[in-house]
Amino acid sequence: MTHDERHAQSTSRLQDYEPIVGKGCIQELKMLAEALSGKVIQTINSTFIGGGVAEILEHMVPLLNQLGVDTRWDVIKGGQEFFEVTKKFHNALHGKNTVTVSPQDFELFMEVSRKNLAEMRFFGDIFFIHDPQPAALIAKKKEIGKKWVWRCHIDLSDPDEQVWNFLRQFVADYDAAIFSAPNFAQKLPIRQFMVTPSIDPLSDKNRELEPDFVESVLRKYGVTSDKPMVVQISRFDRLKDPIGVIEAFEMVRKSVDCQLVLAGGTATDDPESEAVLEEVRKRAEGNPDIHILLIPPESDLEINALQRAATVVVQKSLKEGFGLTISEALWKGKPVVASAVGGIPLQIKDKFTGLLCYTVEGAAYAIKQLLTNPEYAAWLGKNGREYVRQNFLITTQLKNYLLVFLALDRSEDVIYL
Amino acid sequence: MMYYNVSMFPVLDSLKQNWLLIAVPLLVFLATYIVGLWTRRVAFRAFERWAAKQKWEGYRFISETTRSPFLHWFLILGAFLAVHLSALQPAQKALADRVLASLFIISVTWVSIALSERLLRFYIRKVPRLHSSETLFVNTARITLVVVGVLMVLDVWGAPTTPIVVLLAVVILVVAVSFRDTLTNFISGLQLVQSEQIKVGDYIKLETGEGGYVVDINWKNTHIRSLEGDLIIVPNSRLLGQAVINYGRPLKKASKPFRFYTRVHLKELTGLKAGSLAELATMISQVPESVIYYHTHHFFEEHHFLIPEPANDFALWVSNELGCEVLGEKLASIDAFSFPSINALRARIEAIINDYLAQNPDGHRARPGREFHFIKSVSFVLPTPYIAHDLREFVEALKQVSLGSLFYHVFEARLRLKKGVNDFSLWIEECLGDKDLADRIASLDPYNYTLENLRSTIVQLVEKRIK
Repeated sequence: MTHDERHAQSTSRLQDYEPIVGKGCIQELKMLAEALSGKVIQTINSTFIGGGVAEILEHMVPLLNQLGVDTRWDVIKGGQEFFEVTKKFHNALHGKNTVTVSPQDFELFMEVSRKNLAEMRFFGDIFFIHDPQPAALIAKKKEIGKKWVWRCHIDLSDPDEQVWNFLRQFVADYDAAIFSAPNFAQKLPIRQFMVTPSIDPLSDKNRELEPDFVESVLRKYGVTSDKPMVVQISRFDRLKDPIGVIEAFEMVRKSVDCQLVLAGGTATDDPESEAVLEEVRKRAEGNPDIHILLIPPESDLEINALQRAATVVVQKSLKEGFGLTISEALWKGKPVVASAVGGIPLQIKDKFTGLLCYTVEGAAYAIKQLLTNPEYAAWLGKNGREYVRQNFLITTQLKNYLLVFLALDRSEDVIYL
Repeated sequence: MMYYNVSMFPVLDSLKQNWLLIAVPLLVFLATYIVGLWTRRVAFRAFERWAAKQKWEGYRFISETTRSPFLHWFLILGAFLAVHLSALQPAQKALADRVLASLFIISVTWVSIALSERLLRFYIRKVPRLHSSETLFVNTARITLVVVGVLMVLDVWGAPTTPIVVLLAVVILVVAVSFRDTLTNFISGLQLVQSEQIKVGDYIKLETGEGGYVVDINWKNTHIRSLEGDLIIVPNSRLLGQAVINYGRPLKKASKPFRFYTRVHLKELTGLKAGSLAELATMISQVPESVIYYHTHHFFEEHHFLIPEPANDFALWVSNELGCEVLGEKLASIDAFSFPSINALRARIEAIINDYLAQNPDGHRARPGREFHFIKSVSFVLPTPYIAHDLREFVEALKQVSLGSLFYHVFEARLRLKKGVNDFSLWIEECLGDKDLADRIASLDPYNYTLENLRSTIVQLVEKRIK
């Protein structure tokens, strides 16, 4: 099943990014793409819709093609049971100790992988595989050769040993692995690169919006614009600690009149979301200043509006791959309070581009600081936007992926193209 | 003796009787001629003075072409006056008027043809691309003037000219509408050449921000060679209708052009990490140069807009994660600009940490998960389309290249590629012989600037030199 059959691709054109990132950056991308001409990149993940990976690929694939790099997007097939298993893998790799993965789970994973190996068409010169779900496709390398890159979007800083060892047998056969942060790197016999994920400044989720539209979204969800607004946008997942956010908000609310918006959706590969959402709703019951909003996946403009309406954006994750919502908020010039986990410290340089926290109390203190010092908050927001422009826009990620593909055939530290 | 009343010399008699009728026209004719001589002298002198003041080269064509005909026109005027003062019959006078008017028209037409021909050839020769069309333009002018002259003569003799005029007007209108843009561009091209606002060889910048050297101005477009080597073709009328910055003639050409390169880098994870100061010191002594380079330089690219910029990863880590703030400050204040190579810089970092360890052997340990992770910088060097042949092109390109390019030529060239000095200074000294400017740029400590500030400081130094 190809991407084109399932989902309309992003319509952003490469030249549209020039006013944002500069002419030089676009020229660099073109030169790198030129060096890759003739190669076909086959990128494979588990879903076309929902979650950060699909979101990035949706914008990345058309841009790579516009650059002249022939890139095709495929997804593996897997039923509800398979995704429940891979969700367990995901949690275990994130270091959730409560997860138990049984031998049957591993067997189901292998069975679905074998099925995909048999059914999928492999035609690329470079195979770009995302996350654990399709990782076992590497078995095809023995048969067809070519270059294989495994892109890990998960926080692997403290993975469950059993699951990682199972996965490692596949990863070790790749030519290179890509991680989002330095502490996600593993002991592997292959080259490991660091590529941070990115946001698309022209996507519905990040583009500029009219104030009237922002206002209409607030009205739609019954949120007032009269009070300062603390916002966390993320899918309903325990690792995002929505309960912790409510607790921090309640501490802040004692002395500052403000409201909390917890907004997010669910992904097709995350069966746990519904239960978490229910828990959160229960916890917020009876507090009129807390708004729990279930946003469907295609409501990017609404998410954008909520972020733009925010006074402070929070991301109090317990574990995080990268945390794209941080870059989204920073790009909108918002002051951000976020946990120092996963890839978040890569986006927030404490007290320069945002505030980092470790606890509920720390989060509450930082939120209060920003709500009561709007000038400081604005300064952080301005720095944050600039930092994202330089490092976390889709153009930077595109460049990094092109560089990884180019590095597959070269081992020097300084490469002249 | 017989007397005859009839004179032997009737003509003389007639002259005696009507001498006034003959003398007056003759005198008027001669007087008009003399007035003509005097008027020509005064008028041409005044015209020459005016032309000299205007510095208009075309004046001599008017002067040379009209000098003799100017007198002819007075002779015709004299004849006209004489005829009308004479005792000729009205019909004879009318005939004389027509002859004189025809002569005048023929003379004016001839002068117009000669003048337009010389002016056209003069201006066309200033525009090389028009050379091939010179004859076409001259012949077009000749035909037009002859047609107009003939029409006027026909009109004088009472021939029907209206249908011919209407036909000609229609033809001219159709041609003018069809070639409206061409005509506008042609006229604008002539204006550009005549006014010398923009000349071939000038460096100009358009409203769009594009710029380059003017390589050609033809009858339709002006061609500009951009810094990227592209040919920008601007219609003359559009060029004349916008604000253009003209920097003037090219500067001293370099013996070799400067090609701007850019550098993009990829972070390769080494899998090595340090949890304590001792481990950090050991690793620093063992890791490849590219790792030391990354941890002492990536901040300048990634946080280049922050002032003050965080110094290096080692300093930050020992301060933030190990709580060794004194050591952190010492590491942060290492003057990277004073080291000629990465290994020299590495040795200094090692020495500072080892000194500290000697006095504080217990050290500290980072919390689990907050270890120092060693990352290697893999650089990809790419040629950009920007090539500078002189300081003007250099400074204009410098304003446009990416920060990666600036980083490569200033930081990477000096330390990582072991050139000892930045690429700009090397080129300015070796290929332009301007040691003073080269030294001024070389003496800038790039570690004290944000990248944009560094760029604008170098731009200012160069612009000051070429002013």
